[in-house]
Amino acid sequence: MYKKSRARYFFLMPGVVWILAFTFFPLIFSLYLSFTNANMRNFTQATWNLVGFQNYASIGSDLRVGETVVTSLYLTVGSTLLTLTLGTFLAWLFNHDLPGLRIFRSILTMPLFAAPIALGFMGLILFNETSGSINSIIRGLGGTGVRWMTDSWSARTAVLLLDTWQWSPFVFVIILAAMQSIPEELYEAARLDTGSGWAVFRSITFPLIAPALGTVALLRLVETFKILDIPFSMLGGGPGSATQTYSYYVYITGLRNFNMGYASALAYILVIIAIIISTVYFWRVRARFE
Amino acid sequence: MNRKFLVFVSLLSVLLILISGTVVLAQGETFMGKTAEELFPGAADETERANAMAALLEANLPDATGRFAGQTLTVAVQQAGARGGISGPYYFWREAFQAATGATLEIVEIPQAQYFTTTSTDFLTGQNSYDVMNIGAWYLSDYVVNGWIQPIDPFFEQEGFPVWDREAVFPSLANLMKWEGRWYGALNDGDAQMLYYRKDILTDPEWQAAFKEETGMDMPVPPKTWQQLLAVTKFFNGKDWNGDGDPDDGISLHLRTGGQGMFHFMSLSAPFAITPAPGDDIGKVTKYHNVYWFDPDDLTPLINQPGHVAALEFLKELAATGSTAQFGWELAEAWSNFLNGNAIATFSWGDVGSLAQDPSRSTIQGKLGGARIPCSERWYDLEKGEFVEDSANPNCVGNTTGGSWYPVMSAFTDVPELAYYFMAMQAAKPINFFNVYYGWTGVDPGATYDLFPPLGTASVDDYVAAGYDAGDALEYITGYGENFFSHPIYQTYLRIPGTVTFWEILDTRLGQAMIDELTPQAALDLVAQEWDQVNNDLGREEQLRVYQAGIGYTP
Repeated sequence: MYKKSRARYFFLMPGVVWILAFTFFPLIFSLYLSFTNANMRNFTQATWNLVGFQNYASIGSDLRVGETVVTSLYLTVGSTLLTLTLGTFLAWLFNHDLPGLRIFRSILTMPLFAAPIALGFMGLILFNETSGSINSIIRGLGGTGVRWMTDSWSARTAVLLLDTWQWSPFVFVIILAAMQSIPEELYEAARLDTGSGWAVFRSITFPLIAPALGTVALLRLVETFKILDIPFSMLGGGPGSATQTYSYYVYITGLRNFNMGYASALAYILVIIAIIISTVYFWRVRARFE
Repeated sequence: MNRKFLVFVSLLSVLLILISGTVVLAQGETFMGKTAEELFPGAADETERANAMAALLEANLPDATGRFAGQTLTVAVQQAGARGGISGPYYFWREAFQAATGATLEIVEIPQAQYFTTTSTDFLTGQNSYDVMNIGAWYLSDYVVNGWIQPIDPFFEQEGFPVWDREAVFPSLANLMKWEGRWYGALNDGDAQMLYYRKDILTDPEWQAAFKEETGMDMPVPPKTWQQLLAVTKFFNGKDWNGDGDPDDGISLHLRTGGQGMFHFMSLSAPFAITPAPGDDIGKVTKYHNVYWFDPDDLTPLINQPGHVAALEFLKELAATGSTAQFGWELAEAWSNFLNGNAIATFSWGDVGSLAQDPSRSTIQGKLGGARIPCSERWYDLEKGEFVEDSANPNCVGNTTGGSWYPVMSAFTDVPELAYYFMAMQAAKPINFFNVYYGWTGVDPGATYDLFPPLGTASVDDYVAAGYDAGDALEYITGYGENFFSHPIYQTYLRIPGTVTFWEILDTRLGQAMIDELTPQAALDLVAQEWDQVNNDLGREEQLRVYQAGIGYTP
């Protein structure tokens, strides 16, 4: 039989040290920083002071916070809805026995492997107002080019479309797996009652993929609210501040302006939002299944 | 006898000349035992390689292999590649530096948008990875105040380093490399914005007649005021003046957020917003005169004063005489639009003048006009609180707008002497001058030896030898020099801690105004409000002290 040995602590040590150093320490230290006035100057001299909740209180009166939250909400809600709709539709399509599906399924997942920063640069080329292929297609179809880079809402929409393009395959993969786990007998029984494909989807497929959809929705909500890389590399947060998301503002505040205390407070608000969304979701899921 | 003697002496002289010539040639072919091919593998062609070799030999670099062999120097520079602006010269001269010192040069490229973040984080976390950093002048205050870099004055009197001429550096640029009287940077790039225009079009009698007919004015060549420039760009915008069958642009600007668009505003707004001092000393800094950024008594932002607002309104009007895509353009796109003959004018750094000579990037060689940055016929008198309008005596304000990218030395370097050797080598006259006249380097004129007499010692032939059109060289270099030396007053450079933040805020809010998301007044009011907050966060009293010292104001 196996005998407990002290050696197990030795083998656990690297993992524990890793988590303490790279997860807990930054988490605790940034929480501490959020209650200080740490900035570049006093951080260098180690002379920062505790300021209580002052940073958190300042968030309410910070104009940039309001502006960036609007952008983040637009991207979060828009991208979550679009990726869920598109991903579910593709999953439903690929859940049928059609020729060539395996190849297309593999191709469809490719955007997932693109680095968001690279995707932003790709967007810069695609959405270029004068020479970009998207405006060329629009003009070819008789339309006038869209001001993707120089109009606030068009720029936000360009980011939204890129994000949707990248993350729809993620929804597709999860939902397809959920659909394929539904027993065929249920469909056979349903078809005895109705010949309507929509009725089968509404009464059988959707309820059974709902938990997976909910999980994906939660992940997308949290992920998209944190979006930074695409607006950063594609538009530099512009035009104006149009594509500066909340995370972007945290980044600028902390790592370009080096107002670390305030940036930490901003970041913790983001953590709190993510926790609230997750808690509400899991509370509802638990209530549903209990 | 005499005849034989004379023949003998003549033959001997010829022989001696031949021998000495061979020796000179042999020396000219190699440097530290290396050929031009080995030293400049990145040269575009044989002419460039030969010019580089000649510059290297003229620089007379001391042999420092005994002191530095085996050492490694790590230099951080803006990412643009081995033939790109600012980073390119470091690669180009790397082999020569390594041959002269026996050391290894490691070049670390950092994207421009990440540069301040990356280098500052490196210092804040105590990693101290870089011995030398190539910085924009607006980083200097934060680097110095935080104690991250060291002055280089102590090396000036020491032997064994390349010689560079500090007296030749334009005084306004030299000031940007100093802090409280001490040198921190060595000469590299010299930035100021000047006006470029299509001389061939503006001097065309047919276009001149059409301009007169439409506007009632004579064509101003060059446009001397912003108001004249606007009239010109308005007239040409939308007309097919380059004959390609499509309507062309009046102006070409880089106005993308994060694309250095705020520099356009700074240069343009200076003569709208700065009030010259009365009396003989019109450059004197007082509470109301020759101030641009903050009230020097209490640090109240001046950015939302009527002069600045009028300038922003004017910039919008000027931008409307170009492509709407400008609001999404960075430097390269705006320059390219002008260099490819699609815009009648632009105002930018020296790069445009030198890049116009590169056939791979320009179709306008031989057609370039250049002049100092325009003056304004209308400006705000801060003391009287009213606008002044005077088209006969416009307000002219020079600038040093831009980064003037130059190397500084880390306070934590283990190889300070090697670091200074590198900095001094880049600043040595022949090498710096080579970098200036080759446009791909991104290095703009910063010393009098780059300019023509009477301001400097260069000649048009120097530039022609590097492939310039003689007329273009004259326009560009004369205009650039006048930019630094002919204005009665100059815009002060913002040199206080937090400048990176101040300009990030300005850039963002300007972007909002340019795309009509905010009115100019609202945008600049927000800038003022946010600047105030930054000063409060950083410590108002100390900020005020540094600001006053920086602009030469005594309360």
